[in-house]
Amino acid sequence: MARFALRRVLAAILTVGLVVSITFLLAHLAPGQPMLADAERMHADPARIARIRAEFGLDRPLAVQYTMYVGNALRGNLGESFTMRRSVGEILRERLPHTALLAGAALLLAFAAGIAIAAIQATRAGSWTDAGVGAVTLTFHSTPSFWLGLILMVAFGQWLGWLPVGGMTTPVEHEQMGMMGRMVDVGRHLILPALTLALVLTAEIARYQRGALVDALGSEFVRAARAKGLAERAVLLRHALRAALAPVVVLAGMSVPALLAGAVLVETVFGWPGMGRLTRDAIVTRDYNLILGAAIISGALVAIGNLAADLGAHALDPRTR
Amino acid sequence: MHRRLFACALIFLSLAGYRGDRGAGTAGTGGTLIIAAPGDADVLLPPVATTQLAAHVIQRIFPRLAELKLGLNTLDDSGFTPVLARRWEHRDAKTIVFHLDPRARWQDGVPITSADVVYTFGVYRDSLTASPYRVNLDPIASVTAPDAGTVVFTFRTSYPEQLYDATYQLLMLPKHLLGGIRDDSLASSAFARHPVGAGPFHFGHWEAGTEISVEADTTWFLGRPHLDRIVWRVMPDVAASVSALLAGDADAIEFVPQRDQIERAARDTMLRLVPYPSPFIGGLIFNLRRPLFADRAMRRAIGMAVDRETIVRSVFGPWGETPIGFATRMQWIASGTVRQLRYDTAEASRLLDSLGWRRGAGGMRQRAGQPLEFTVVTPTTSRIRQEVATLIQNQLAQAGISLKIQPLEVSVFDQRTAAGDFEAMMFSRTLDPSPGNMVQFWASSSVGGENFGAYRSPAFDSLLAAATRSRGRTASLPKWHAVLERLNLDAPALFLYTPRNNAAIHRRFENVTIRPDSWLATVATWSVAPDRRLPRDR
Amino acid sequence: MFGLALVTTIVLIAILAPLIAPHDPLAMPDPVLLRTAPPSRQFLFGTDAFSRDVFSRLLFGARVSLVVGIASAALAVLIGGAVGIAAGLGGPMVDTVLMRGVDVALALPRVFILLAALALWEGAPLSALIALIALTGWFGASRLVRAHVRQLAEEPWAAATLALGGGKRRLARHLLPHVAATIIVSATLDIGNIILLEAGLSFLGLGIGPPTPTWGNMILEGRDLIFAAPWVAVAPGLALTITVIAFNLLGDGLRDALNPRGTAGRWNRLTGSV
Repeated sequence: MARFALRRVLAAILTVGLVVSITFLLAHLAPGQPMLADAERMHADPARIARIRAEFGLDRPLAVQYTMYVGNALRGNLGESFTMRRSVGEILRERLPHTALLAGAALLLAFAAGIAIAAIQATRAGSWTDAGVGAVTLTFHSTPSFWLGLILMVAFGQWLGWLPVGGMTTPVEHEQMGMMGRMVDVGRHLILPALTLALVLTAEIARYQRGALVDALGSEFVRAARAKGLAERAVLLRHALRAALAPVVVLAGMSVPALLAGAVLVETVFGWPGMGRLTRDAIVTRDYNLILGAAIISGALVAIGNLAADLGAHALDPRTR
Repeated sequence: MHRRLFACALIFLSLAGYRGDRGAGTAGTGGTLIIAAPGDADVLLPPVATTQLAAHVIQRIFPRLAELKLGLNTLDDSGFTPVLARRWEHRDAKTIVFHLDPRARWQDGVPITSADVVYTFGVYRDSLTASPYRVNLDPIASVTAPDAGTVVFTFRTSYPEQLYDATYQLLMLPKHLLGGIRDDSLASSAFARHPVGAGPFHFGHWEAGTEISVEADTTWFLGRPHLDRIVWRVMPDVAASVSALLAGDADAIEFVPQRDQIERAARDTMLRLVPYPSPFIGGLIFNLRRPLFADRAMRRAIGMAVDRETIVRSVFGPWGETPIGFATRMQWIASGTVRQLRYDTAEASRLLDSLGWRRGAGGMRQRAGQPLEFTVVTPTTSRIRQEVATLIQNQLAQAGISLKIQPLEVSVFDQRTAAGDFEAMMFSRTLDPSPGNMVQFWASSSVGGENFGAYRSPAFDSLLAAATRSRGRTASLPKWHAVLERLNLDAPALFLYTPRNNAAIHRRFENVTIRPDSWLATVATWSVAPDRRLPRDR
Repeated sequence: MFGLALVTTIVLIAILAPLIAPHDPLAMPDPVLLRTAPPSRQFLFGTDAFSRDVFSRLLFGARVSLVVGIASAALAVLIGGAVGIAAGLGGPMVDTVLMRGVDVALALPRVFILLAALALWEGAPLSALIALIALTGWFGASRLVRAHVRQLAEEPWAAATLALGGGKRRLARHLLPHVAATIIVSATLDIGNIILLEAGLSFLGLGIGPPTPTWGNMILEGRDLIFAAPWVAVAPGLALTITVIAFNLLGDGLRDALNPRGTAGRWNRLTGSV
């Protein structure tokens, strides 16, 4: 197990390095002279441009620039964003928790709904209810998230007026609220984007869990439990669900890329100030240091997700237990 | 002296919609104005700030010597009201002497002196600063300070808008805070992100890409603003900003640019639409550095193939009009008729044929195997410009010209257009009240500056100089019209639309007046009645 | 088979778009009077901000979605299939190198790389978009094919082919029909995701740009009109949903019908990093 874990961790680190390298290469192969142009666009004075030049080796060959960037990055210096005029590290530290909140809420919602749907389907496998619920999940699975978000925003934010239409907090008033008030405020802003992001994942989780539950319900130990005279409800809750819940870690780990990709669109639609919108903004404004910073974060998140999934799968696999 | 000052203050306050019953006491003060802004500020240092939001913020923080009144009369002194200068006199035809208000203080407590004014003029004029407004100060030969409370402006020639040029273009900078910094480092200094001024508001905070705020200076020497603070929230998406207004998350927007959104805002009972003459003009600039557009006949042919009326009706509905040239309703020169290119597809077709561009397969024109095509760049943030470009694309296709639209993210757009790296660009400009700043956009001397298309015409330059010198409305109007006409017929750009502006403002704000060139010019007198305050107003 | 019928209908509509469409999708009959006209007999799904017929644009938009979806999926599955067969039949060295590579590639954030590549090279043409999507999307398929190939290679007839001196190239030719089922199912299940991916990129302004109608850029254009003219954004969203459902149903149906071994999961949306 320990050797396996070590190998996976090394692979994860390698992945992050690869993502950064690909992004670096993309940025430098693209037309224009990225970093230097950034420095000039920052209204920087000559002394400062010279400092940035030296710090990131901008007039040196590409390979040298790359090593210098990696060296700086390893020391925690990700450079400065020209659009925000702040250090990239600082911006990432501020935005990452916002996306973590959104993705965490979405994951929680998706698992709660997915497992519930799976339980309904599995206990009625083959029935009309099963087929009907299956059709609904397939529909959500096939809906573009940004469009769904738009529709939800119009319906709940505009027509019904129940929820805020964008952003993460109520301006000004948020600052005047107490601790509880602030949490409620963020929570209200969180509902629609989290729901949009969750709806897309729910279908996957429900499909997977339904399969796992059907298998579990037909397995030896469940039959044994039934034979002992346990009520069907208890069988489902105590035995079958427990068996089906095991791969949650694996599923959650594997959801990370989908969550990140979804976050780009959903955060753009709802104006949620997280990593997704930051990534998109950085890319379209060609804020190179910020793009590379975002590459590190999304590479690391996906790698961590995969690592969790691998280790989870490894731990669950009867052959390695 | 005091009587005169009092009289001036009274005129100022009454013009600004001041109501005596509210008094200067604290009962009438309070309130937060949240404004939805379409884009972030670039830098909060007046000589180099270019974005719309930056302009609004710095004009709250940095005062002028005198302020234009609502009537926007730039030609004589009655159009101005004192701010930093409590009074001024014309010593001769080329000299204005300003006397500073001794009560004026920088927000760190240091008194404002004539040295600050001299320093400010120097910064704007220094080529190291690279201020785009530098050319507007060309007519001023020197600024000197005989004593701490007196400043003397000397002009190169005698012309009517001297006071306007001396006051409107210069926002005063604190020498004691900036004097030690080289002019080419000012824009990147900490001050430019966290400014200290002497206006009715002081800087609050700036979260890049998200929010900027200013707070009332309760000790301002001309009386504190009624509102406590102004917050600008950056919302690039117009539909989203109108949604924020309807939801009460924002209170005001400078102007609602899209007709569908105006209709949405108009239906809401909490919002008031305040129409005002627009300082905006938009259109398409040709890059005359490109051989295709160096040819005047080509530009004219394209101009005649574009149906401006249809574009304006489609994009703006009733809330827009076709301009008479490079001028908007806000400017006094926009009255009367000026010769323009006609919409005449037959004539456009004849011109293109005569240039050798003949219709080929599919009706598209070509010459020596080369298709007649060009690319127009437009910023992704402006839906209006993208819509207009799309309509032009359709109209030009009927004339056999293939137009490609390249949407660019706004910072990339700014960079490429400033560098002259484009074929054609969709532009939008906020004009000054005076037509004099046409020099900034079209004079030969501004090539490399904001004359993005590199239009060079000695004839235009001399017409412009003549118009600037002429005295009196009736005498100068025909001269200004000649300037506009020359620009229309040379067609370095197509002047396509000028909106009829509608600001949308929450009804709880009272005493709302709008000076068209700068909609927040009188915001210090806007107020919220105590009984209508929201939690955020307290 | 409902999925097949639905997909066939949609593909036919896309092919016959010029015949079915009541209007030219780019024509602006009257940008003043017919701007954002509500649905009517003349304009089934109304008009957009330029008086263009939303219904006709929808039909033509189907072409972009289908071409990108089908071509990218086909290309991806070809690359993935080739790599999978090579890994499955090649020696342990080849297998290790290829599959370790695929492991790493599967862990790359695909959308991030697509966004970066598309934004940095402004206005990428359709072929580049297809190539990019395919090049970042073949990893999963190669894993499936490799697993299937290894399974098949252990069967008696495969061993016999090799024993008779057929060589690996010949064996590969024999394996192909068996692996084809895996490939086809995998590709079909991928089409839906790629269509959503392309629409998402268009919506972010990074896919195929105007004036060519795509469902993604139609939603983008309809976004600001969502209150005044909801049909502009609603129609392409529904079209997308129905098309993706169709391909998912078809993929599920094909899998059940062909029952290829090794096609373990349907939840490609997670593993495919969309």
